[in-house]
Amino acid sequence: MNKCCIPALVLLLATPIVVVPVFGNPQMVNQPETGEYHWDLPKGFPKPRVPADNPMTPAKVRLGRYLFYDPRMSVNGMESCSTCHRQALAFTDGKAQALGATGESHPRSSMSLVNVAYSSVLTWSNPNEHFLENQALTPMFSEHPVELGLTGKGEKFVQVLRSDTVYRELFPVAFPAESDPFTISNVTKAIASFERTILSAGSPYDHYHYDGEDQAISESAKRGEALFFSEPLSCFRCHTGFNFSDATDFEGRNGAKIEFHNTGLYNVAGALSYPPPNVGIYEYTKQPEDVGKFKAPTLRNIALTAPYMHDGSAKTLDAVLDHYSAGGRTIMDSPYAGEGSHNPNKDALIRGFKLSPQERLDLIAFLESLTDEGVIHDQRFGNPWKIPQ
Amino acid sequence: MTLQRMRCLRLAFLGVAALVLGMGGLAAQQPVQEVKLVVTGDVPTPLTLNANDLATMPRESAEVTDQDGAKTTYEGVALQEILKKAGIEFGRALRGKALAGYVIAEAKDGYAVVFSLGELDPDLGGTRVIVADKRDGKPLFTYQGPVRLVLPADKEGARSVRMLEKLEVVKLRK
Repeated sequence: MNKCCIPALVLLLATPIVVVPVFGNPQMVNQPETGEYHWDLPKGFPKPRVPADNPMTPAKVRLGRYLFYDPRMSVNGMESCSTCHRQALAFTDGKAQALGATGESHPRSSMSLVNVAYSSVLTWSNPNEHFLENQALTPMFSEHPVELGLTGKGEKFVQVLRSDTVYRELFPVAFPAESDPFTISNVTKAIASFERTILSAGSPYDHYHYDGEDQAISESAKRGEALFFSEPLSCFRCHTGFNFSDATDFEGRNGAKIEFHNTGLYNVAGALSYPPPNVGIYEYTKQPEDVGKFKAPTLRNIALTAPYMHDGSAKTLDAVLDHYSAGGRTIMDSPYAGEGSHNPNKDALIRGFKLSPQERLDLIAFLESLTDEGVIHDQRFGNPWKIPQ
Repeated sequence: MTLQRMRCLRLAFLGVAALVLGMGGLAAQQPVQEVKLVVTGDVPTPLTLNANDLATMPRESAEVTDQDGAKTTYEGVALQEILKKAGIEFGRALRGKALAGYVIAEAKDGYAVVFSLGELDPDLGGTRVIVADKRDGKPLFTYQGPVRLVLPADKEGARSVRMLEKLEVVKLRK
């Protein structure tokens, strides 16, 4: 999420000759949806918390989906939110660090958007980013790094939307009370509404856990589940609840503390123990004890979202288990050399553990059982410019 | 991809999905784990309780809201009742040296939590602790059971020991 959707708008806005994307089936936009949005919540999932000034509606969700996949939202006209949040990869991009529209590398790895409606904080290390509506402005307009690269081109982008036949139909339906609905604020509201609909609860583990289907996961995965929820490993303490993340919020939940964790991934020499600019929430709090503290992301679909950690520095789940079982990662012969297990801010839960080869396989089998194939093929979340409605 | 081919694929997908769902419907429910709860330490009558023992003791239930916001009803036996069965006395007998006693609730994975006897006595601390063996009328999940503690009044779940295996009473003054 930090890195995002940058692509397509960029080109269109930057060049006088605009390469217009192939736009979707106009029949779809002739079927405006009105009325309230009805959540189709999976068993065990609470109702997401939605900002009062942006209630969910089917029309906004539909508009947001078009915007999410619109490459005109980038300075090079080739990238969109979907560039860094690819449905096939559970809305991540498969890269250690995302690339912006101008080729600039983002310091952190794309976060999954699956179940983002439940995220109490949205990015790896900004403790103040709680709303998708606001977060969407970062990929659109950020300059350090440039993501979609719309800085100074916002009005031009709005003009592109205003002149598009699809959007001329979608915007007024999504924002019927507004005389001029073509605004950046409404763009982010619609994208946020679409993103909140991307829910995943159809993994084999869900069928096992919530539906009581004993054969939905393997015996190995069941043993892995027991390990995951055991005291020695304590994975479940941070990757907790229905969304396997302690950074979870929903309607009716009050006073949930938002935790960030230093897992001992680094312990570099110098004033800060993590390699800049990825110093965790210290970037915002400036408290020394916050160096290296990051959000614990959801583990749903984790097998699809490699590479791992905030900077994509763990290529495989095996590498992740190496790190945690050692109680911190040791790096030799590199600018980042150091014993992460000795990081002064390391979470007390990261104390290391022993896994037999079979237990390691079991734990990975459990993590793989969290993959929901449905969410990566669900046409409701796919590119509307390409998929017939 | 032609529309026709997409339709074929969709039908194939639905067919597979129906098959999978059908299999799921026929699948056995999660197997029930065997209950074995040991009550040991400084108790007059050490116990090893099974599912039937718990079923025939005074039962109680509590509705709690779990971390996911779902309301869940746990059912089982009060921890105090189990300790009484092992010979621990409460009420007026729990005075003086007896108040220097506590119970360690220990899980299969080594997790352990302590409760003082005075804390459990309804006339003193009155902390309600249920040794639960049912969740919404069904056996507990694998990683919860077969028995666990439930503390309805606790704000966080840290003392609600899962996979409970042993209750060990310790008396510091005898």
